[in-house]
Amino acid sequence: MLELMVFLLCGSIIVSGLLAIHLGSTMAAIVSAGLAGLFAALCYLLLAAPDVAMTEASIGSGLSTLIFLYALRRTAGAET
Amino acid sequence: MAEHLIVVAAVLIFLGILLGVLRLVLGRTIVDRVIAVDMLTVVSISLIAIYAHVADRLIYLDVALVYGVLSFLAVLAVARYLERGL
Repeated sequence: MLELMVFLLCGSIIVSGLLAIHLGSTMAAIVSAGLAGLFAALCYLLLAAPDVAMTEASIGSGLSTLIFLYALRRTAGAET
Repeated sequence: MAEHLIVVAAVLIFLGILLGVLRLVLGRTIVDRVIAVDMLTVVSISLIAIYAHVADRLIYLDVALVYGVLSFLAVLAVARYLERGL
């Protein structure tokens, strides 16, 4: 049961990464990258590493989205 | 009885994750995708809470707490960016 959940979450990480590459707009890529961080945090938690999951949830999913948005705003004109 | 309820809740949570990912893939506008990610966050917080009960480790609830506090920040930033720039 646990292995099945871990496999499903790993597949979701791969799907999120492919979405970040293949979706057209930059905003959709940023959102998909945040989603990959979310699934990675869940995967770490199921593999019994709650501290790593907490760090990944706060930095990978929260802060990196903010930094990406800030960079997108500072490089205005490249947005589609 | 409680075991059956937990199994039903886990099935519903994975169904919710499936539907959220489907909306994210199919989403017409960027707002659809942001709402899908927000829904996936809420669903995964409940998944963490259920797993904390199943694995009988209350430390996992802290992860759900931190995630719930910090996860709205990204959606808030995206919404503010879409409205009038960060």
